[in-house]
Amino acid sequence: MKQLSLMIDLSRCIGCKTCIVACRNFHGLVDHAAAMPNEIPYYLRVESRMEGSYPKLSQESWVVPCQHCKNAQCIKACKSEAISKNPETGIVHIDRDKCTGSKACIEACPYDVIQFNEEGGFAHKCTLCQERVLMGQQPVCAEVCMTDAISFGEKDQLKQQAMDQGREILKKLSAQSIIYVR
Amino acid sequence: MYDNGWIPTACYQCKAECAILVRVEDGKAKEIRGNPRGHGKVCVKGMSGLSLEYNQDRLTQPLKRVGKRGEGKFEPISWDEALDMLVGKLSELRDRGEAHKLTASFFPHSITDPKWRFLNAYGGFINTALPHCDSAKIVAFIKAMGGVPNHHIPPAFFTTPKDGVMIMAGRHAFGCLDDAAVPRDILDAQARGAKLVVLDPIYTPDAAKADWWIPIKPSGDTALFLGMINYIIDKGWEDKEFVANWIREGDFDKLKDFVKDKTPKAMSAICDVPADDIKKLAKMCAKAPSVGVDSFKGIMLGQALDFGHAWTILLAITGNIDNPGGQPLPDLTPMSPVEPTPAGPDLHELGWHRTGPDKDKFAKYSFIMEPTWYEAQAIKNGGLKVLITAECNPALTEMGQEEWRKAVCMPGEDSEYQLEMLVSYEIMLSETSRFADLVLPDKSYFERWELLYMPWWYNFGQGVLLRQPVVEAPGECRHSNEVFIEMGKRLCPDYFQFKDDLEYYDIQLAGLGLSVDKLKEMGGIWSPGTMGFRKYEKAGGFGTPSKKVHLYWEDLEDIDQAMPRPILAPEYDADVEDYPFICISYRTVFHQGSGQWSHNNPQLRDSVSGMYTNPLLINPKTAKKLGIQDGDKVTVSSRTGQVQVPAKVTEGIRPDCVGLHHGFGSSIGRVASTGEGVSDNLLIPDSGMTLDWQDMVGGESHVSTRVQVTK
Repeated sequence: MKQLSLMIDLSRCIGCKTCIVACRNFHGLVDHAAAMPNEIPYYLRVESRMEGSYPKLSQESWVVPCQHCKNAQCIKACKSEAISKNPETGIVHIDRDKCTGSKACIEACPYDVIQFNEEGGFAHKCTLCQERVLMGQQPVCAEVCMTDAISFGEKDQLKQQAMDQGREILKKLSAQSIIYVR
Repeated sequence: MYDNGWIPTACYQCKAECAILVRVEDGKAKEIRGNPRGHGKVCVKGMSGLSLEYNQDRLTQPLKRVGKRGEGKFEPISWDEALDMLVGKLSELRDRGEAHKLTASFFPHSITDPKWRFLNAYGGFINTALPHCDSAKIVAFIKAMGGVPNHHIPPAFFTTPKDGVMIMAGRHAFGCLDDAAVPRDILDAQARGAKLVVLDPIYTPDAAKADWWIPIKPSGDTALFLGMINYIIDKGWEDKEFVANWIREGDFDKLKDFVKDKTPKAMSAICDVPADDIKKLAKMCAKAPSVGVDSFKGIMLGQALDFGHAWTILLAITGNIDNPGGQPLPDLTPMSPVEPTPAGPDLHELGWHRTGPDKDKFAKYSFIMEPTWYEAQAIKNGGLKVLITAECNPALTEMGQEEWRKAVCMPGEDSEYQLEMLVSYEIMLSETSRFADLVLPDKSYFERWELLYMPWWYNFGQGVLLRQPVVEAPGECRHSNEVFIEMGKRLCPDYFQFKDDLEYYDIQLAGLGLSVDKLKEMGGIWSPGTMGFRKYEKAGGFGTPSKKVHLYWEDLEDIDQAMPRPILAPEYDADVEDYPFICISYRTVFHQGSGQWSHNNPQLRDSVSGMYTNPLLINPKTAKKLGIQDGDKVTVSSRTGQVQVPAKVTEGIRPDCVGLHHGFGSSIGRVASTGEGVSDNLLIPDSGMTLDWQDMVGGESHVSTRVQVTK
């Protein structure tokens, strides 16, 4: 199956959030003059987990974009058939013209990554920077990652690369089309 | 004038000033990237520059105070009127023989920053706008190794060899204040087999990636290093060749004698690092192909001179000076001087007088960068009459901010205020502007020309970086450099015989066979990329009088600092009963200082992409003892103030410490004034109260504060 993917390296992600801002800038998600904190849409977020107790601690961070699911719940939930998975790229895409603003996809998404534009009445989310990748460029998050923790490519190839490098693929996190390794 | 496409320039969300590219479309900046001709990275602050550029709070015209200082009431005036007021005041000050009572507080973007030139020509002093500065470390380096004043030269992590040791001593390198490429370079070095050791009371993002996190007691760093030095010498693991050839004769014996009783066990009792760990780290350092230490002023407590000293000794006796992965020595880009060069006012005669009663003692430290050490004290002493702040915010960053605010509002005898004029030069109104008589609208870093070269960058290999305007400035904004040059032409024309800022930069660039135009054509970077390891070998030695490294400082014998003292900073032992915890003012990648650049920036205050507020970090054991649950509102009080703030219970902090992120608490700015954030400087004792301590520790003991925490 053809599937473009991101590989997130937890051993390199430092949770700096640079990718989130770069993504917003590229996709025009922020009104720089009027935006207020905690009201700005975002296509990816950082999660982290600290384990152990003082002073024996460990902490990992990773980013969570749309997982471009294999059998996407959002596609099933959308009554207006606005969401589809591109057979050439595996990118799950919301067609803004078909979107009726029912928010059914937002309810259905197990990863909580779909945003809603109140003004325009449409759902939107990470497109894996479709317009860039079709021209041979990387998605913005992979391009700007400060620690080179995000790689872009075809899923099987990224997986092969991870195995060749002796990386551990985090199965639970990698249930869909985005691969998480450490 | 403003091109479309990716334009090379320089970020200024923090002092690192990384080389960036800005994508401009129809006169609007749209995207930002690290410039691959530099180190190629930009951090979250840099990415958020667009939300600064187009912020609706941008100042667009000069303002004059109409209410009382602190009320923040202004009316718009013209640039002519503003400049007449300022130049008139400065003429009067100089006519009465008090030019040295002018201080301009700003970050110099090069050692020939036009603002600094103006001060030197006029006879005023600089305050480098870094109250949390590492001046004592600079002094330690110069005393030990000579050379040019260098601000902060971290190890060049991209040169760290396999098995090299990288020590972060209270340094949040992942905060990117050296360069946005530093986290990548550190992780790459680790991937090569280098080891990252983080000494910090807080489990920072750096600690999360470290091979070894050592949660040391605040200010215990000098003791830890002395314990390591003792162990290395005891085992005979010193770099014998470097010691024989490059350490001043007799100094190593004096060191040996001095550290005899500074055993790992004895030092462990001070720094709270187990003796075995001190030995282990000592062995790692002695056996590694390189050791690099990155620190600003020590472990969150300004024992900076002693620590800078101990740190230099450790690197010297292990041969880690100017080697790959070790401590780089600063180097100056060979620019042409702009003649005549103004000498500046005499520091010994006219400077340091603002440091309290013990000027002579303070002067011993030669704090070259900070003649106006404490503005509030200087105002009270009558030594500061005109203060111009540019791109800095003392009302929120000066230690003991309330004293600063009181001082700038003190009535004068012959004038309305003791501080006769306060000018705030900013891109948005700040807490400091609230008190200003004149508020001048600056150009942002996307709108101005500037020539950047400093011997202190992580990216010093770049040599020279050109900041160029990529978009037009709003309203009547003028860059502070242009205005200081105009002030120079009016007040000290002999030193301002060039046409404007661009001609000033052209003259300097001639030293490299360049001009602003040529540099622009080249992509804005002149960077041979050479570090020149072990430069002292070719140069015939170090820049000290003996040409060797000085471990022993005889000029500080009478104040007992000829060798680094292992004691904790005085703050640690002050009022322990009443204030049992140490509050650490910590930092993250999201906010640099208290400036509106990050705090009035919606993306950097957004919880998803930045940091919205600053809860009090507290260890679960401590929280349990105090009956505090995660999210509870707690009161943090110190000798000078108190704040109410929600608690965030985390394992990532020493149980005897609490943590408060620095720089919050602004009452001005559409974004900055939202949320529950509080200013840590409300808790920090006023510098005037603790001048003796400052003198004793050789720096400011103000990033850790004794506090009590109650529910």
